Amino acid sequence: MSPLRTVITGSVRYRGREGQLAFILHRLSGLGTLLFLALHILDTSTVYFFPALYKEALALYRHPLFMLGEIFLVAAVIYHGTNGLRIALFDLFPRLWRAEREKPSVYTTLAVTVVLWLPAAFIMGRSLIGHTFLGWE
Amino acid sequence: MTTLNPTSRVVSPPPRSLDGRIWLLMRYSGIALIPLAWIHVLIQDVLVGVHRIDLDYVALRWATLGWRVYDMALLGFAFAHGMNGLRQVLEDYITRDRPRRLVRWGLFAAWLVITAIGAAAIVGGVGRGAGEVGGS
Repeated sequence: MSPLRTVITGSVRYRGREGQLAFILHRLSGLGTLLFLALHILDTSTVYFFPALYKEALALYRHPLFMLGEIFLVAAVIYHGTNGLRIALFDLFPRLWRAEREKPSVYTTLAVTVVLWLPAAFIMGRSLIGHTFLGWE
Repeated sequence: MTTLNPTSRVVSPPPRSLDGRIWLLMRYSGIALIPLAWIHVLIQDVLVGVHRIDLDYVALRWATLGWRVYDMALLGFAFAHGMNGLRQVLEDYITRDRPRRLVRWGLFAAWLVITAIGAAAIVGGVGRGAGEVGGS
């Protein structure tokens, strides 16, 4: 199948700059979050259907690799929301849009994402290190 | 190609078609999900953390009706938003009619089943006979 190759090589060659970066990040963060969300709905549902199994799901979530993934999941959720708000505002209120606002708006979403994510990443990272290396209960 | 230099923007979604409504719904649900999903993530992932979450915690949280309503809204908005997003991504690369219809119905069925399972759990709450968990 060549379409996937076309997508990948095209994404690399096409120089859409900030707009393309936002587009790709929005899709990746959305797809990543959806993958987790589907898993999360099903595992949480075990509290009703198979309560004994919920412990197994939690054991998976408490694995260091999963906790690391969780930190990136939070980044994805923050970015997807911030960039989504940018898209929704420009779509619902086209009057707000100016050509010269397009690129700065992308940098604004990235900056907001980093500012919101860093404290969350710090708290979650501390928990990851504490539970993995320092024997926290 | 680069001579195109727009100075203003016109957005005109098809207002009365199904696709137009879904287009609008993606924006409205997206805006609703910013507080809904962010507060959920802030509380459960950052402030509480997965090491303090267990059956008792879920039972305690769902003892408050407001949190069940909250979780139901989150489930409804987030998963529909996500599955329609996945549909849009796939339809960018699947252009033939039959595979496209297959993807649409497949995603719709998956959305319906998983949403129903999640909703049943939120309504039903933490199951009884949950082992060492003290029943309430």
